[in-house]
Amino acid sequence: MEAVIDVQGVEKMYRRRVHALRGVDLRVGSGEIFGLLGPNGAGKSTLVKVLLTVIRATKCQGTLLGSKVGDKGVLSQVGYLPEHHNFPKYLTSKQLLRHFGAMSGVGRAERNRKADELLEVVGMKDWANAKLGSYSKGMRQRVGLAQALMNDPKLVILDEPTDGVDPIGRKDIREVLLRLKDEGRTVFLNSHLLSELEMVCDRVAIMVHGLVRQQGTIEELTDGQSGFAVRALEPISDELRETISKRLSGIDPIKTSDPSELVFATSDADAVQPAIDVLRSSGVTIRQFGFRRPSLEELFVKAVQEHPDGARPGAQRKGGRS
Amino acid sequence: MILMQTKALFIDAYRELNAKKLFWITMALNLVAVIIFASLGITQKGVTFWHWQFESMFFNTGLISQELFYKLQFTSWGAGFWLSWVTTILALVSTAGIIPDLISGGTIEPVLSKPIGRIRLFLTKYLTGLLFVALQILVFSFGCFVVLGIRGGAWEFGLFLALPIVLAFFSFLFSFCALVGLVTRSTIASLLLTMLFWSMIFVVNLGDSIMLQQREGWKLQLQDRQGVIEPQIRFAETRLEQWRDEGRPIPGEGDEPLPEDASDVLEVVNPTLRQSRERVEEAEEAVETWTTWSARVFALKTILPKTQETIALLERNLISDEELSRLMGTGNDDFSADEDMPAMADPRATKAVAEAMRERSILWILGTSFLFEGVLLALCCWIFARRDF
Repeated sequence: MEAVIDVQGVEKMYRRRVHALRGVDLRVGSGEIFGLLGPNGAGKSTLVKVLLTVIRATKCQGTLLGSKVGDKGVLSQVGYLPEHHNFPKYLTSKQLLRHFGAMSGVGRAERNRKADELLEVVGMKDWANAKLGSYSKGMRQRVGLAQALMNDPKLVILDEPTDGVDPIGRKDIREVLLRLKDEGRTVFLNSHLLSELEMVCDRVAIMVHGLVRQQGTIEELTDGQSGFAVRALEPISDELRETISKRLSGIDPIKTSDPSELVFATSDADAVQPAIDVLRSSGVTIRQFGFRRPSLEELFVKAVQEHPDGARPGAQRKGGRS
Repeated sequence: MILMQTKALFIDAYRELNAKKLFWITMALNLVAVIIFASLGITQKGVTFWHWQFESMFFNTGLISQELFYKLQFTSWGAGFWLSWVTTILALVSTAGIIPDLISGGTIEPVLSKPIGRIRLFLTKYLTGLLFVALQILVFSFGCFVVLGIRGGAWEFGLFLALPIVLAFFSFLFSFCALVGLVTRSTIASLLLTMLFWSMIFVVNLGDSIMLQQREGWKLQLQDRQGVIEPQIRFAETRLEQWRDEGRPIPGEGDEPLPEDASDVLEVVNPTLRQSRERVEEAEEAVETWTTWSARVFALKTILPKTQETIALLERNLISDEELSRLMGTGNDDFSADEDMPAMADPRATKAVAEAMRERSILWILGTSFLFEGVLLALCCWIFARRDF
């Protein structure tokens, strides 16, 4: 698959003290919806800003849509919605869209047509001539999304696009994203809302303290962590766990934080039946049995917790902790 | 694409100005100023305002023409006060936020993510700030042009020189305002520091005027005092001859000693000569001192924008040397200086200062001022191009 974003060793040091990015390698394929997740201060927005020339990287190798990162010309093919945008309140949404369309080099007739079309797509057609100052946060977010699409971009970068948007609005935005994908565009999403990413993303990357810790499809990331789970009514004793482990030799147990749960790394239900027999014969009541794949949230939490400073917010200071 | 982006930024700037009430308030005030300008008139007896008549010795059609009267009003209070003070202050209040607003979080990111170079973006935004003043000056100048045409009987297109001249004047201050706004990211800080900077320039200009007035005043005093010495020497020489003829002992000759406080025999013969020579020495020292200080202030002014002289360029272009000389020379031709009058108070010095100011070259006035602005803008571009947002 052709790479839309392909960067290696991206580093960003602020004032020679704060190491926001510490060698990020990232590859986003054409036509996919890619999700970048990470805790606050992980460097997600910094990475996006480096790609969009809003921030100058200390070190960066790689390409954006085939051009060297930092090339201004290629940005005419990129749409961007920043996280805490503050569009001019004196403009109407139609004026805003036309303005940013012109800034991206879209011709006048095309700007007018696209502005009307996109306002309809994001459900803001009735507010086209109202000033942004009178909008709610969710409405501004919808207009911001439309703004990012004004130049028919090949790559759309959205930083927290559903921030402040109600559930209906989120659903609408998801539909827009899927439509963009169907049109062959690449969508790069930065979001904290893991469940939403899980619904739309083809691939994700988890970033912790300026480094990409994991990257791949959700299936790839959960590989080795999926399996059949047996959940009892009460905690399962260590003796029972040992007995079951002996009976199911060859099937690796997966660590779980729930004391009443046993998870086995297999997709074969028959292979797990002896465990149920042992539990039943010992008088344990089985509450649930089924195939279980870790959620994106669990993957995320695990990746963050694996890092010594993962749960701490903020970028890492050089030679120390944040 | 460059034209399209520039046009988009200017349209956006216009919308921003349009949304600001202050833009329209200033525009309305400009129209009021034009109405006041139109209400002024000049007759054989003096000046009129609406239907009121004020008799004046200096302003009447016997001394100056209607055309010159209106041109004087335009250069003195129109450009010299209204445009360069009232409109400029209102313009600074309105435009001080342009750069801090541009670089505020959430605003700059979507703009920088577009295919536009940072330096071009900054300079275009800077130019949009000048748009505010340009529109105000244009309205005021056009109004005054019509008034001068109808009431003064002269369609003086030179009035439109106010546009580039006042715009240049404003741009010197706005470049400083933009730099402070870029560094501090604060509208209030950039406005207050620009006002402070402007006050500093005002003080330097005041200092320059005082030094020049002193220098020119003392030069005139020196001339006057040197003029007094010659007859006194001649008088002393005549008296010395008389003494010799009368056979009186001459101090400093033969056994007769010269008094310690006299530098030569002439001072003994004519005691007022010594006093006059001391007064000449005093004037020579003063001329030297004030010339040195004037040169120092001039050097300081060279590196600063020449706000006062820039505005004065309008007067230079609208009012000829002959007209100015006639206006300033009124009543001074038969002036005789009082010996005890301070150099500053000499009206001939005021005229000499005005001439000295008028002789300052346009290259020095505009060249060094634009150089100042250029350096500040280069610094702004350097900061803006390197900053992470």
